[in-house]
Amino acid sequence: MNKLLPFIMAGDPSLAALPQLLAEAKALGIEALEIGLPHSDPIADGPVLQAAAHRAIQRGATPLRVLEMLAGLTESPDLILFTYLNPLLQIGADRLLDLLWPTPVKALLVVDLPDSEEAEFEAKLRTAGFPMIPLLSPTTDIERAKGLLERRPDPGPGHPFAQRFAYVVARLGVTGTGDTTDLAPVRERVAALKAISDRPLAVGFGLSDSAAMAEVRAMGATPVIGSALVQALANGGGLVDILRSRMNG
Amino acid sequence: MHATEFLLPTRFGTGGLGGCYAPETLMQPLLDLEEAFRMALDDPSFRVELKSELRHFVGRPTPLTSATRLAAKFGLQGLFLKREDLTHTGAHKINNAMAQALLARRMGKSEIIAETGAGQHGVAAAAACARLGLKCTVYMGVTDMARQAPNVARMRLFGTKVVPVEAGQGTLKEAVNEALRAWAARCDKAHYILGSALGPHPFPTMVRTFQTVIGEEARAQMLEQTVSLPDAVIACAGGGSNGLGLLVPFLGDDLHRFAVEAGGHGSALGEHAARLDGGRLGVLHGCKTLLLQDQHGHTAETASISAGLDYPALGPELAALALDGKIEVLRASDAQALEAAQWLCESEGILPALESSHALALLPELAKRGFATVLLGLSGRGDKDLSTYQSKLGI
Repeated sequence: MNKLLPFIMAGDPSLAALPQLLAEAKALGIEALEIGLPHSDPIADGPVLQAAAHRAIQRGATPLRVLEMLAGLTESPDLILFTYLNPLLQIGADRLLDLLWPTPVKALLVVDLPDSEEAEFEAKLRTAGFPMIPLLSPTTDIERAKGLLERRPDPGPGHPFAQRFAYVVARLGVTGTGDTTDLAPVRERVAALKAISDRPLAVGFGLSDSAAMAEVRAMGATPVIGSALVQALANGGGLVDILRSRMNG
Repeated sequence: MHATEFLLPTRFGTGGLGGCYAPETLMQPLLDLEEAFRMALDDPSFRVELKSELRHFVGRPTPLTSATRLAAKFGLQGLFLKREDLTHTGAHKINNAMAQALLARRMGKSEIIAETGAGQHGVAAAAACARLGLKCTVYMGVTDMARQAPNVARMRLFGTKVVPVEAGQGTLKEAVNEALRAWAARCDKAHYILGSALGPHPFPTMVRTFQTVIGEEARAQMLEQTVSLPDAVIACAGGGSNGLGLLVPFLGDDLHRFAVEAGGHGSALGEHAARLDGGRLGVLHGCKTLLLQDQHGHTAETASISAGLDYPALGPELAALALDGKIEVLRASDAQALEAAQWLCESEGILPALESSHALALLPELAKRGFATVLLGLSGRGDKDLSTYQSKLGI
């Protein structure tokens, strides 16, 4: 099982540092990593990722520059492009595919794109090998979850984790470090989802310490570390140190 | 049992604007909201309750005032003002806020979240919540809090918590961002009263439905007072709740419909909030519509002297009606709006909100185009803008 799914914001601390960070993650044994494409209006993000996106945009991390920076990288985990719809919509599906081909991006997670809203755009990407990762939140009941998992299907065991997993949102609200001492409701939801699907699950939003990560792994799911990692990197911390301590337990 | 699909149309016009581009956490709350909205509209007791609140608390019907001196100034044969400025709390926003507050109570929600730009929607939501005994939190950009300070005080007097939003330009866009985040965190207990005809489905449809009382009344009043319909109907448009509220009931009539956007202080991106010329289709705050944005799909900065019009997206239904040629969208600059406010003050003894002044500013243009009688939506009163008028007009 995949032990940890880290999130970093492209362009923070800097775009130039990105290849090195990805190489370090790969060397550490990280199989997949979410890479945030900074957006001006990140409505599902808490203060840490809002600030990181803002800094990244100020430093010129435009969608095109980020994708160009990723082109040709081989020393990288599989990437999941984590973003909001509008920048992708403005690029357009055809041009986006051209930009994605030479990168380690394997899938997309578009926070504000329900599977019903841009069917043609989404189908074009999926057919070309870039599926959308389904999100399952505390407000998603099990019947709705079944539909979401069917409409954004698991491409199958022959495919990497980055293309297969479903993202379980641990709590109501936005991304961020926080108080998730009580993971019992998440454990229940993960168990219910495992009963209807055998695809891999990642759990994120509000996990930050090693204990919470270990608890998620004990549920048979992969913990996501996002805001805590982004904040530590912004404070000058090293990716390897931050991730290593959270990969075990 | 939860609603599993939307039953009302989610898209507008030939371009298919609108939609529901919401994070998964908000999808079930939005599905449930649409269901509650549909059931409320079908329930005679809800309609009776709403009508009673609109009459006895809001002060409807609002008058239709014949503005003869201002009409004469521009050579118009007739000018009629739909007086939303005379509603309780001073703007059309209360029509929707009260209706949604009643809906929230019906849904068993005990808390209300709202965003506000000019503060009129915030004050309206605060008043409705005080009246219905609901807890209310309003998100407002810090720039808007400074320029609309009296409304901040009014909200606080009504027992509402006003949360300053410091991000970005500190205006309506950031307030909506923060309100959406807050709703995602509290959606099990709270209803979000969006104040304009934008956001994810069902908000644009719901807000328009609760605001068309403006145009329905105005249409009947025109027929009663003049035995005919006007040649042109004009209203200002930020998101579009006032514009749609006045114009939609006239869509089937053979007359000209105008919406006026904020021209700000220039024509470059960042100097105005004129989405029809300056925008292109994009997705912001849950809907696809005309959006001021840069080449990367990031939302552009906006500028307007009027906080209520200072928003980068035109509501999707209004944008669709504009693109399909059913409503003509014009713009008025900051300077034109300030001048127009003085016309109304001096000719009619009415102090308009800066938002409404944008519609007034187009009166000479309408006269020049040969329209004889004009119906104008006076969306709000200008008390909240006194300090701006004082400093800009040197009075």
